[in-house]
Amino acid sequence: MSSPISPIARPLLPDAIGAAGAPARPDDFQKALAAAIGEVEGSRRAASESIEQFLSGDADELHGAVLAAQRAELEFDLFLQVRNKVVAAYQEIMRMQM
Amino acid sequence: MTEGVAGRLEHYMDLLSLRQKLVASNIANADTPGYKTRDIDFQREFRNRIAGTAPAVEEVSGLEVKQDGNNVSMDREARLLAENTMRFNLAANLARIELRTVRSAIEEGRSG
Amino acid sequence: MSLFSLLSVSGSGMSAQRARAQLLVENLANAETTRTPQGGPYRRKDAVFAAEPAPSPFASVFEAETGAAGTGVRVAEVIEDTREPEKKYLPGHPDADAEGYVAFPRINPAEDMVDLMSAARGYEANVAAIVAVKDMINRSIDLLR
Repeated sequence: MSSPISPIARPLLPDAIGAAGAPARPDDFQKALAAAIGEVEGSRRAASESIEQFLSGDADELHGAVLAAQRAELEFDLFLQVRNKVVAAYQEIMRMQM
Repeated sequence: MTEGVAGRLEHYMDLLSLRQKLVASNIANADTPGYKTRDIDFQREFRNRIAGTAPAVEEVSGLEVKQDGNNVSMDREARLLAENTMRFNLAANLARIELRTVRSAIEEGRSG
Repeated sequence: MSLFSLLSVSGSGMSAQRARAQLLVENLANAETTRTPQGGPYRRKDAVFAAEPAPSPFASVFEAETGAAGTGVRVAEVIEDTREPEKKYLPGHPDADAEGYVAFPRINPAEDMVDLMSAARGYEANVAAIVAVKDMINRSIDLLR
């Protein structure tokens, strides 16, 4: 998935979902969400470390912590959007398969 | 960020507030005969967090003492005033980002 | 929370420096005053500062929490110069005594000007502290946004 803010938001959904012609299985959604959560957790951990450095006085440039924190927030917001889309798609498909 | 970081940010801001209060006291008493500059050992207080104990306020050593016994350096206090404000505001920004994230997680959780 | 008591600390600093400045201005205005209602020439006045815990509306609750009250300042007393006045030989002067000497205040205008500038700088430093702390208080409030 490409977007105008791709330098910050790496693709959160693997290409497996939406591969032309392949029927989606419940498993794919779970894997996609797990991967997205992994990404977000990574950026939040990095922000945590940056902030620790600022608090303990080790940070050379103060803006490092703020940038890392805002990046983590952006990725989290993006994750929420993706999660909502994935959940909606899942519900749609479950409805269709009834 | 984790719960732990939010707590540490709050502790950081609390210590900075206390430090700023001591700076203000030093500035107010810049011309008081016999008054000695006071401060806290910030890094030590921040590292050794023991709940419930108030930080130790101590007299600053190494300052030039004037004829009337006062040792307040306006340069030092002005520098600290600016530095404490900057650090406090930065920590407040970080805390605000964290609160926003938690808030949106709660809101999404409600509607999702 | 301790930020609010800081405001009264800096406020006390402003009051003290302003009182000091007022006395210095009075000295400068009366540098040549040879006749006062009390009799005799004007006597130089000075403010003596003393440190004192600054009161705050939140003092009782938060001071107990933080364990340290902010230390403000007050004018402990106003002292008058008790030295003998300066005598100058001016026989024609309306306030000359029997020997033709006139008693003048012991005031060095240059010294008092320097002190006045110091009082002004001290006043401004306290104002700067209030501005900084108002900023910090506003940031704290913004956390709720």
